Amino acid sequence: MQSGPSPFKRLKRHLLATPLDGLMSVLLLALVGWVATTTLHWLFVDADWQVVSQNLPLYAFGSYPPHQRWRPCLWIALLIGLTLLTLLGPRRGWIRKALPLVWIAMVPCGVVLLAGGLGLLPIPSHAWGGLTLTLLLTACSGALALPLGILLALGRQTSLIVIQRSCSVYIDVMRAVPLIAVLFFGQLLIPLFLPMHLEVNRVLRAVLAFALFAAAYIAEDVRGGLQAIPRTQREAAAVLGLSPKQIIQLVVLPQALRTALPALTNQAVGLLQNTSLMAILGLVELLGISRSLLANPDFIGRYLEVYVWLAGVYWLVCTAMALLARHLEHQLSPTRFATSKR
Amino acid sequence: MIPAIQATGLVKSFGDHQRALDEVSLHVESGQVLVVMGPSGSGKSTLIRTFNGLESLDEGRLEVLGIPLDADHDERQIRRIRKRVGMVFQQFNLFPHLSILDNITLAPIRVQRRPRKEAEGRAIDLLTQMGIAEQAGKYPGQLSGGQQQRVAIARALALQPEIMLFDEPTSALDPERVKEVLDAMRSLANNGMTMVVVTHEISFAREVADRVLFMDEGKVVETSSPDEFFANAREERSRRFLNQMM
Ligand SMILES: Nc1ncnc2c1ncn2[C@@H]1O[C@H](COP(=O)(O)OP(=O)(O)O)[C@@H](O)[C@H]1O
Ligand SMILES: [Mg+2]
Repeated sequence: MQSGPSPFKRLKRHLLATPLDGLMSVLLLALVGWVATTTLHWLFVDADWQVVSQNLPLYAFGSYPPHQRWRPCLWIALLIGLTLLTLLGPRRGWIRKALPLVWIAMVPCGVVLLAGGLGLLPIPSHAWGGLTLTLLLTACSGALALPLGILLALGRQTSLIVIQRSCSVYIDVMRAVPLIAVLFFGQLLIPLFLPMHLEVNRVLRAVLAFALFAAAYIAEDVRGGLQAIPRTQREAAAVLGLSPKQIIQLVVLPQALRTALPALTNQAVGLLQNTSLMAILGLVELLGISRSLLANPDFIGRYLEVYVWLAGVYWLVCTAMALLARHLEHQLSPTRFATSKR
Repeated sequence: MIPAIQATGLVKSFGDHQRALDEVSLHVESGQVLVVMGPSGSGKSTLIRTFNGLESLDEGRLEVLGIPLDADHDERQIRRIRKRVGMVFQQFNLFPHLSILDNITLAPIRVQRRPRKEAEGRAIDLLTQMGIAEQAGKYPGQLSGGQQQRVAIARALALQPEIMLFDEPTSALDPERVKEVLDAMRSLANNGMTMVVVTHEISFAREVADRVLFMDEGKVVETSSPDEFFANAREERSRRFLNQMM
């Protein structure tokens, strides 16, 4: 865009080239203007945001006991802090090296903070809710689904025909069934497979079913990454005396996951959005808490306000995830995967 | 003394095609350099890849450093041999996600269980020997082909192998990059390394080889000293091949 015509002239050329173009442009501009003013008018004049402003703690924590709210608060603060540190923090040094481990540690950390134990007052899972529960569901099911998906993808590649077939069948079946069906089955079936006295709570059942479902999709993404690695890479590793397990762990997987990263990012964002389906199972995560608020006579009919607010919150979290993913991609790529010159 | 490689009647075919190796016999004494030549598709790669178990054999007897590598293809025997035999490929096959230093230290640390410090020290020595010590922190994608191939040689040498196998190590290089790789191989041979080299570089073969083996259609056509082979090849097929090369 160097030294072209002035912006005004360019605009004129693009929008008003012929009379018909001109007419279209004017109509479109009018439409855009009308939509914008209506929206702004609704946002700032018509809408009654009390349904949001009076219930912020509910959106954040659900019915978590007020005197214990510092716990989910702390967890979310840690997540935000870690996100900022990852995106803006130092590019090198031990902090950068420790980051992946800290991120992984956030999953058990969240579970302990919310559930209690280790000296914290136990809080039953039906009291968890809101954004905290949405994030916890995403984090836990993602943390289970990723290793499971990798194992499925590797299993699909082995020469052991029984394992290979079972993995293929599992992946195909899971991908053929809608998530909501898997979630309902999970609520009913998972207790059957566990010993009687082990009462599995609803949140854990939902997480397990969700992870089992997501793993099938992750497996397909990882398989794509595995297929992108030339056979010669395995040969070069084998020739150095590395064992089959070392070849997978040190040579194949790091490259395959790097290649699959953009697809895995999509899965992660999808995971977060799909946690909203758990509202149907009676979990009061972000969507669930909103629905129960709308059932409250004080806020009757405030659908638009609530759903616009929800959209904003989901958008914010998804954007943060996308930024983190892009950062990770950048970290793993810059010069290292430059195409080899010959 | 045990010969480095002793092969008798090696046979290998892929599917129902013509045999890729057809009754190949040869032997390489420790400290010798054997150069393998032949037209494309004559089975050179297949032959050299049987020496470290990358290809399994259908028939024949093969001993590498006294360890049998016959048709039964025992995984443990193969790994024992791979720790003592280095290999360099035409396409370098460096690991793109690891730095040059990590490419070289991977096997010493993971396979030989050497301390990282020691492995890195040795890797730097090898890179210095190859004339590319300043590249240690870079990634393979940032190096020229000739540099990558020298890293590949250093990576193989890091395990202190007793035999080095080279499969057309300069065929993927720009012509002006060939010399730096051949020089590295030459100094390796001068230091007494046992080597089997598949190459079309005639001046290299003439200077470095103890013997030249000429293959065609999976068979050994002749094995001669380089002087004899290049000046006055015994077989008609060898002479035709050499005429095309020169
Ligand atoms: N993995 C393979 N599968 C099928 N055929 C192969 C394979 N590798 C080699 N061949 C065949 O074996 C023959 C010898 O190949 P190769 O050893 O690569 O020859 P060279 O290295 O002398 O060019 C060729 O006919 C080739 O097509
Ligand atoms: Mg070849």
